[in-house]
Amino acid sequence: MKKSKVKTTQPEEQLFALEEHLAGTLKPITPPQELVSRLRERIRFPEPEEIVWRLGNWRRLFLVYSGVMSGMLVIITFARAFFYFWGRRHM
Amino acid sequence: MPDIEFNEEDVLTRASQGDRDAFGLLYERYIDRIFNYVYYRTGNLHDAEDLTARVFQRAMNHIQNYTDRGVPFSAWLYRIAHNLVANWHRDRSRRQEIPINDVPVLPSKGDHPEKNLVRSQEQDSLLRLIRRLPSERQSLLILKFVENMSNAEIGAIMGRSEGAVKSLYHRTLLALRDQLGDQSINLDGD
Repeated sequence: MKKSKVKTTQPEEQLFALEEHLAGTLKPITPPQELVSRLRERIRFPEPEEIVWRLGNWRRLFLVYSGVMSGMLVIITFARAFFYFWGRRHM
Repeated sequence: MPDIEFNEEDVLTRASQGDRDAFGLLYERYIDRIFNYVYYRTGNLHDAEDLTARVFQRAMNHIQNYTDRGVPFSAWLYRIAHNLVANWHRDRSRRQEIPINDVPVLPSKGDHPEKNLVRSQEQDSLLRLIRRLPSERQSLLILKFVENMSNAEIGAIMGRSEGAVKSLYHRTLLALRDQLGDQSINLDGD
């Protein structure tokens, strides 16, 4: 391997040049897509599309569930009130 | 892959309550960054994959212990990665394996595919020198250049003050510069 001399004049300039070299060498890399998918499966994560779909669906389910529960509470309240007054009249 | 926008605080709360879908969103957001860190620290694809998986598995198992005390979630993840990579190096040194110098070329963001096929001799030499540095210094350089983090962010991950990171960085540059005297790397900027 051919060696070249480090012939910079100022130490600060050398450090600046070294930082430039480091910036050129240590670049962000994109992991291969199959690797990301393999990892996702390995950690047992669903696909991003599936996560988005499930979250949307989960919100809908939550709305339906809370609607049903609220409706049941209203019915139970009316039923209790009805039995209370009806029971008092027939006592 | 779709870029999923979400409120990280909400997602973290749900993930800490055992919501796997929420954790999946965090995985999608941080997989590239953690993989980058682990890949540069290990220098090979196979171990990088294995360790990245273990980082997320450990994070998923302990996310209920993560409490937001001003430390970002990313810093918490990097700490896990940092510890796992340190253990990996310890085990590897015990087993006396032959060091791997040939780092597989992965596509850099924004580069042309043709350019990715050839890594210059200078870059290889510099990478080899970086791998000979102490673990903390390697992490510092990777977080600074690959992840573009500030000294304060790096400090949060490494458990050091911003000033200590700045000082360590300067000492690392000086050490690298001294070692470069024996290498074919020109610091003239030509």
